[in-house]
Amino acid sequence: MSRKEELVRWLEKELDGNFISAEATIPGRLFIDLKREALSAAATGLMNRGARYQVGVGYDARKSGQGFGLVHTFAFDKDSLLVALRTFAPEDDPEFDSLTPLIPGAGWSEREYQDLLGLRFRNHPNPRRLVLSDDWPEGIYPLRREVPHDLMPPAAEEVAFRLEEAPPGTSIVPLGPFHASLHEPAHFSVYVDGEDIKGCEYRGFMTHRGIEKLAQTELTYNDVPFVAERICGICGSVHSVNYAQAVEAAAGLRIPRRAEFIRMVALELERLHSHLLWLGVAGHLIGFDTVFMQAWRIREKIMWLAERLTGNRKTYGMVIIGGVRRDINQDRSEDIRAVLKEVEREMLALEKAILKDRTIHKRTRGVGYLSREEAVKWNLIGPVARARGVDMDARRDHPYAAYDEVQFEVPLADSGDVWGTLVVRVKEVYEAIKIINQCLDKLEKLPKNEPLSVDLEGPIPAGRQGLSLVEAPRGEAVHYVLTGEENRPERWRVRAPTYPNLQAVPSMLLNNKLADFPIIVGSIDPCISCTDRVLVVERRSGKARLLSGQELENLSRGKRSKK
Amino acid sequence: MWLWNKIKQLAISFRAGMVTLHYPFEPRPAPEGFRGQPVWDHTKCIGCAGCASHCPARTIFLRDICQELRILLYDSSRCTYCGRCADLCPEKAITMSDKFELATDNRQDITQSLELFMMTCQRCGRCYDLEIKNYIDRLSSLGYRYDSLEARKVIRRSTADFSPEELEKTVTYERPGRLEK
Repeated sequence: MSRKEELVRWLEKELDGNFISAEATIPGRLFIDLKREALSAAATGLMNRGARYQVGVGYDARKSGQGFGLVHTFAFDKDSLLVALRTFAPEDDPEFDSLTPLIPGAGWSEREYQDLLGLRFRNHPNPRRLVLSDDWPEGIYPLRREVPHDLMPPAAEEVAFRLEEAPPGTSIVPLGPFHASLHEPAHFSVYVDGEDIKGCEYRGFMTHRGIEKLAQTELTYNDVPFVAERICGICGSVHSVNYAQAVEAAAGLRIPRRAEFIRMVALELERLHSHLLWLGVAGHLIGFDTVFMQAWRIREKIMWLAERLTGNRKTYGMVIIGGVRRDINQDRSEDIRAVLKEVEREMLALEKAILKDRTIHKRTRGVGYLSREEAVKWNLIGPVARARGVDMDARRDHPYAAYDEVQFEVPLADSGDVWGTLVVRVKEVYEAIKIINQCLDKLEKLPKNEPLSVDLEGPIPAGRQGLSLVEAPRGEAVHYVLTGEENRPERWRVRAPTYPNLQAVPSMLLNNKLADFPIIVGSIDPCISCTDRVLVVERRSGKARLLSGQELENLSRGKRSKK
Repeated sequence: MWLWNKIKQLAISFRAGMVTLHYPFEPRPAPEGFRGQPVWDHTKCIGCAGCASHCPARTIFLRDICQELRILLYDSSRCTYCGRCADLCPEKAITMSDKFELATDNRQDITQSLELFMMTCQRCGRCYDLEIKNYIDRLSSLGYRYDSLEARKVIRRSTADFSPEELEKTVTYERPGRLEK
């Protein structure tokens, strides 16, 4: 009996009348509808069976008379199975059981829908504001259907985020929102006792751009990949491929094999340059700028290659629903091989020169340690989890595109510290090169005149669910799509890999030195823009005014003279 | 060990030499197939609005200012250079050029607008593109650049050679804001 059947049978028996239906759309996906009373029991059961929590998705289903919907998704990595539990709550009583006491990683998802949809969660240990800015007025929930995507309500006055009190005997060091060691805005309030970090509180979500809301109100299915790509400045293709896969799964569309391999090449190129970027940044953060310079020099070759292949250094724009836009022909494939050969050679030389360097070892070994159990508890993913000995990789466990047709290894480390993430990432660079070369071999054998994309036959029916995974350089990214009317998704949820990893940063920081803060936060390769993707752009006053250079100067001078 | 590593690093750095380009003092041409600023070819455009309705950034606008005149406005300030417009254009009137140095303090520098002369369908009354691709014929149609729309009259002006006066008139020509029937 497969895991899928076993789960359905168990849920039917266990939940009795609270079980509504189960639907298996494509292999490896199971969508279950429950009554909301049974949510907690079902989630407990799944976790006891070895599931890994992924993400919660809330949406406004009032149009169909179902109130508010809440989907929790779980992954069974050993069985290549993703399970989504969906429940509904009526409009006048949007309250669900909180899963956070059971699964700490669910905390953010629930707080997010508390802010954005006005849902309430019973027994949530920390039900404070997460996503909305401090001056966003109470009672306006941006993801609700009646709120327009460009709403700019007057700011609430005299409000401030209540940071927690520092534990006794410690003092607070505020790091961020803008800090030299953070590349994007995020606020960490770090509790220190002397030089030792005793705790930390995170306040983020400062760069919301309202992308999900935009897709649900303004864009159409085929516009979204190009906007999804701009969620992240590094792993753009991850999001566009992921979104396209989710829609294709919901629509039952099968894309040409050629397109699958081309998508894989784009994804692995991204992994290559992302890991090299990380290596450079990590070197920079620990004050080892030779690594920074040399890693980025090697990376530049890949950026130029991407520019030749796709027409842009970073935003490849390769993906549309049903396939890809540009072909990789013989000339280009030779170009790729030549560049990769060069990159591999240079990377080996760099690795030999730096991996035994004492500077790196002293700054990374034993820093940011987290045990394997903690990593599983916090649902860590990607290189951060693999450095803690958690053997998981969405490419192998939940194969998408044509990853089941190529051979590669999943590098692991068991040191559980920053050093481990470094080793894992360096090894993954060679694996990515291996995968691209195999893809090119396969592409050359495929018929040349195969179409690059297929068209949809008729509109996509509303109300279908699609769930997709892509192993981004930072870990798996999850996209959930619920198809809607008017040629656009009813709900599109993006869970970037930093989302779960960032929640575990306070645990990683514990008992480390304050000076190691940048590299510990850097070790998860935080992508704040990815994580902060949802909200409406706000300004303090509704009016926009441009300041002249002189005015700005006066302002800054005035401030200084006041001091 | 430590010293040996540093020597290796030195060797890598020296072998790489200087890699920084002398840009912008030396131009760095964009590679073939680069997605730079899109450029519209007004002779090919039929005003179908395919680009406007598929632009993910919603940066192409189409307005019918009168029965015969359709304005296509491309505002590059929000463009994401995805090239979707060029893909979808049925007449291949849009090409993604290799222009990427687009920083400016004047939005007009990167804005393109096309005035498209449309004909009226005798059945539905909506406008469609002129089927005539002949420029002389085009001159006879309503709404051409030198037309007097008030008088509904074609004013044909052309010279055998380039005339600065004519150019001056063209540049300073102001289209009437409102049609009087």
